[in-house]
Amino acid sequence: MCGIAGVLYKQKGAYNIGKTLIDMLDGCQHRGPDSTGFALYGDAKELLQLRFIVPTEELARKKAIENITTLLARHKASIDSEQSVGCSYQVSVNFDGDLLEFTKDIEEHAKLVCVGHTLDIIKDDGTAKEVDQTYRVSDFVGSHGIGHVRLATESAVRPEAAHPFWATGFEDIAIVHNGQLTNYWKMRRRLERRGFTFHTDNDSELVAVYLADKLAQGNTLENALETAIDDMDGTFSFLVSTPTEIGYAKDHLAAKPMVLFENDDMIAVASEEVSLNRLFPGQALNSTEPAPGTYRTWSL
Amino acid sequence: MVTIDLSQFSNITEANEKIREYGRDNQSVEIINPDARHNIGVGLVDPITVKIKGSAGYFCGGLTDGAHFEIENNVGWAAGDNIYTGTVVVGGNAGAIAGVGLRGGEVVIRGNMGSRAGQIMKEGTLCCGGNAAFMAGYMMYGGRIIILGDAAEKVGQDMSAGEIFVGGQIENLGNDAEIVDLAPGDLDSIKEFLHRYDLKFEGTFTKVVNAGKKLRYKSQEPRHRPQPFFIHSKSSSYWNAKVQEDIWIKGEVGRYRIRGYGASKPVPHLNDIAFAKSISHVKASSSALDGVNLRTQIGGRYGAKPLDLSMPVMIAPMSFGALSRSVKIALARASRLSGISENTGEGGMLDEQREEADQLIFQMLSGRLGWNVKDMQRADAIEIYISQGAKPGLGGQLMAKKVTPELAAIRGIPVGIDLRSPSRHPDVLGADDLVIKMDELREAVAHKVPLGIKMGAGRVKDDIKIAYKDGFDFVELDGLQGSTGAASTEVLENVGIPTISAIQEAVDGLREINAADDMHLVLMGGIKDGVDAVKMLALGAHCVSVGTAAIIAGGCIACMQCHVGSCPVGIATQDKEHEARYDIDRQANNMHRFFESMRWQMAAITKALGYDDVHKVSREDLVALTPEAADITGLPYAPQHQDHVHPDDDLSTLSRKAG
Repeated sequence: MCGIAGVLYKQKGAYNIGKTLIDMLDGCQHRGPDSTGFALYGDAKELLQLRFIVPTEELARKKAIENITTLLARHKASIDSEQSVGCSYQVSVNFDGDLLEFTKDIEEHAKLVCVGHTLDIIKDDGTAKEVDQTYRVSDFVGSHGIGHVRLATESAVRPEAAHPFWATGFEDIAIVHNGQLTNYWKMRRRLERRGFTFHTDNDSELVAVYLADKLAQGNTLENALETAIDDMDGTFSFLVSTPTEIGYAKDHLAAKPMVLFENDDMIAVASEEVSLNRLFPGQALNSTEPAPGTYRTWSL
Repeated sequence: MVTIDLSQFSNITEANEKIREYGRDNQSVEIINPDARHNIGVGLVDPITVKIKGSAGYFCGGLTDGAHFEIENNVGWAAGDNIYTGTVVVGGNAGAIAGVGLRGGEVVIRGNMGSRAGQIMKEGTLCCGGNAAFMAGYMMYGGRIIILGDAAEKVGQDMSAGEIFVGGQIENLGNDAEIVDLAPGDLDSIKEFLHRYDLKFEGTFTKVVNAGKKLRYKSQEPRHRPQPFFIHSKSSSYWNAKVQEDIWIKGEVGRYRIRGYGASKPVPHLNDIAFAKSISHVKASSSALDGVNLRTQIGGRYGAKPLDLSMPVMIAPMSFGALSRSVKIALARASRLSGISENTGEGGMLDEQREEADQLIFQMLSGRLGWNVKDMQRADAIEIYISQGAKPGLGGQLMAKKVTPELAAIRGIPVGIDLRSPSRHPDVLGADDLVIKMDELREAVAHKVPLGIKMGAGRVKDDIKIAYKDGFDFVELDGLQGSTGAASTEVLENVGIPTISAIQEAVDGLREINAADDMHLVLMGGIKDGVDAVKMLALGAHCVSVGTAAIIAGGCIACMQCHVGSCPVGIATQDKEHEARYDIDRQANNMHRFFESMRWQMAAITKALGYDDVHKVSREDLVALTPEAADITGLPYAPQHQDHVHPDDDLSTLSRKAG
């Protein structure tokens, strides 16, 4: 039960992606006041970046961070730099082992939010503006990103249940989802049998894990979106992002809204046009609503 | 023409108030910097022109009557929602469900339009200059859709009546839709319409109408000797005469059965709860009402004028349709005499009902049958129906015999169909859309009256949190024991959770999110007297709502044949001859006296428990009589409080004749 937004600039450059997404999400905050999250893509970093969710209470936070550093040491990932803001703990590490094995073990013992060289996921309870105040999202410069505002329905209001979700085991891939999957448990059990672990009861996490599984089997992102539309029951409009592209998929009934705007410079997509208009105040946009049961991707 | 710069308004409510003011002065308005904001112009009932220079969001021009909207660019979902007369002309594209629930007037989209355009429309014309996305004319009941371009999948899905003209290609037809030849005059009428809006079109049209294969159930249930509810419900095992009868009838009709009333199987109930304290200090009955406050206000959370009830009791929503006009009048009068509220239910508002009731809740259902802005503006509260305890997840059913010309006119549907109302709202497909719909409704009544939600009890703990976060003023929560005028027995008996589970989950859910005590809980489903009401309040409700008990007080003989339409006492019927047997004056007084008995019971118990206000009773005053009730509510299990009156003793007297 949510609002989603995504933006991608077609030409390489440094754009105020953070500010853009804050404006868009603020425009549809009425769709979800509980939590807000961003998946932001900037310049590729040399070292692997990991972000965790840790408690905000000082003693518990210290313990959680100690636990994470022990975990990292166990996998011979040496910390180059670290930072702890809000409910998060971010590290840059030297690591050249098997990423899948590494993240699988870490995820079992800590609340890992994202892993990659270009992706950063920032999410917390509160509105877009509140999250910005803590994390300075508006300072982020990059090429593209997706975002989400959430009204918690089935699952509790906790930062880890906020979107975006990282596609477990695959660096730099994230999703945001608006809707409700009705065959959640069936699909979750199927994926669990294939060795995936779920860390929330949020149906949107399943979208991320599903796509990760498809990509692991060598499918293209487009193929994965195509099969997702048939495999997933329920209502959904979701966005997915990789270091070079963003894409969407929409259910057969078009039950969840999504509006698209494209010009020579950019693609902007959001649950409602009111978000798109935040980028072009006072202008009437030539926007379109994608058809039911369709998907598409755009590349940098 | 005056100009309103919407960027100067952080709040759409103030802008709409301004537009309505200009409307009253007959002054047309131009809106600049609309920036796709929602609910622009909602609630306007004056014939002015509103020009929007740019794009508008959801519900643009919705819930209006007589106004003319011109939007330069695009609109979001539900442009022209439910307009009665007037026009909405969109220069660009429209999102999903353009022209939803139209009752007249004209909606023109010059560009393309999104999915489910014209869903549940009843009259008027929806015209699209470009292409229409899937399910154009979904569940439409009447009116005309003109599509100059192509139409995507499932054109006319489950339409009951009306006409869809497609100038381009039709990808495929929906359920129960068929292509027919144009009638004489069709083309001229379309040309005249297109000319008026300066739309160019060369060529001809394919006409899609209802194929008439699904408007009535194929098999009709044979008439059989009715089994009175209290005999019917007494069975405690699963293999008995009732099951036998059910199998016989299903062997004839080959489908699910439909009946009135609620779940009859034994489930945990307020009867399984007792008051823990001694009531030995109860005084003489004549003074029971003195010194006890029963007055209850419902729905002032956001500054709307709350319902002001003389006691924490409402009359449950029951439609004109399921019930006869006479009964709705009697209920409205009884509510006034007892200082409580009446509720329209699904079938629209009757003038007589409005006059008789001091406080009237207007209910909006998925089919928008009888729904309109003018009646909203004379209601004392607005209620969005999501589902009900008798049949969570399903729409209402009204069998053909009750769908008379008078009733069909108020609802805007064809005469004589087996009406199966949609199970979902066209514009509420999640809690996120619901927020915007709530804004639209509040705009239409200038935020003056409370906004509630009616929900059948299923996953209450989740649902109640959504209701709180979305900002409802009150919730009517309806348990498994709730009754109805018609539903399939499978759903009546097997879907939902008992009313005591519902209140407990609601209270627990609200506590989990640290909600303040400002969203009022109205519990219903099996509330049969003032004793039940006090127990429910002690469990955490602010108010209860009674339907079945009121109707029984007002002459119902509980034969459960409400759906047939031949009610012998003139209650659940639209047959004038049967209705003539209903004595409004007498039955209104009977119901009034029944409500007064509830008042007496509530006051007496409150006093006996040592309080001066019924809202002071609490869980501490209760014990559970069965392990099940203890498990559900967390109340202490105290079997020693069980009384040993046989349940049959006092029930036979309830089946009395009316008239």
